[in-house]
Amino acid sequence: MGCSLAARLVALKKELKRNHNPNFLFIEPSEMIVTQELKNVMAMGRRDISYEVGPFITLINGPEFDSQWQERSFLMIGQMKDANLVALTHSDLMDEHSVHGLEQRLAAHASSLLPLSVPCNVGVDEVMAAIIGHP
Amino acid sequence: MKVISISGMRDSGKTTLIRELITRLTSAGRSCALIVNEDGDVSYDTDFLKLYGVAAEFLRGG
Repeated sequence: MGCSLAARLVALKKELKRNHNPNFLFIEPSEMIVTQELKNVMAMGRRDISYEVGPFITLINGPEFDSQWQERSFLMIGQMKDANLVALTHSDLMDEHSVHGLEQRLAAHASSLLPLSVPCNVGVDEVMAAIIGHP
Repeated sequence: MKVISISGMRDSGKTTLIRELITRLTSAGRSCALIVNEDGDVSYDTDFLKLYGVAAEFLRGG
């Protein structure tokens, strides 16, 4: 993440805090950003406003994993590394064996993979608990 | 204010998950805001943002 982009992100964070002061601010970054970069940016701005840094959540598209891994494994590892929670999305489109296989393949990068499917209401309660419970 | 990051590749379901979390949190009386990368493939429609009182800012390239 470039300096100007990081500065813009910090400025937007301050603006939202000052103008709206929400309980929760969600950041949906570009797929090109890795977790450590986000963590660095999240540490900026605390001199001017107070806020908590909640969990860093990384989503892995289960059914599309192989094609994305082939092209972007470096980025995907960077997103999983340092994340507080890694979730396997579209898990309703995968069988149990495939989910288990991915858990094993990614064990070096994610200590656990949370199966997640919003339409089937799988794993959403766990994400909510991580958000609300994260210190 | 608690800042939460949801990362992932294209089509990983970031927007879908955030929309669901916002729906649940606002239903529980919590307020939410968003900073979203403008290049995302699924957007947040104005009706959704208005319905849940979500302040949103868009960031190109980030």
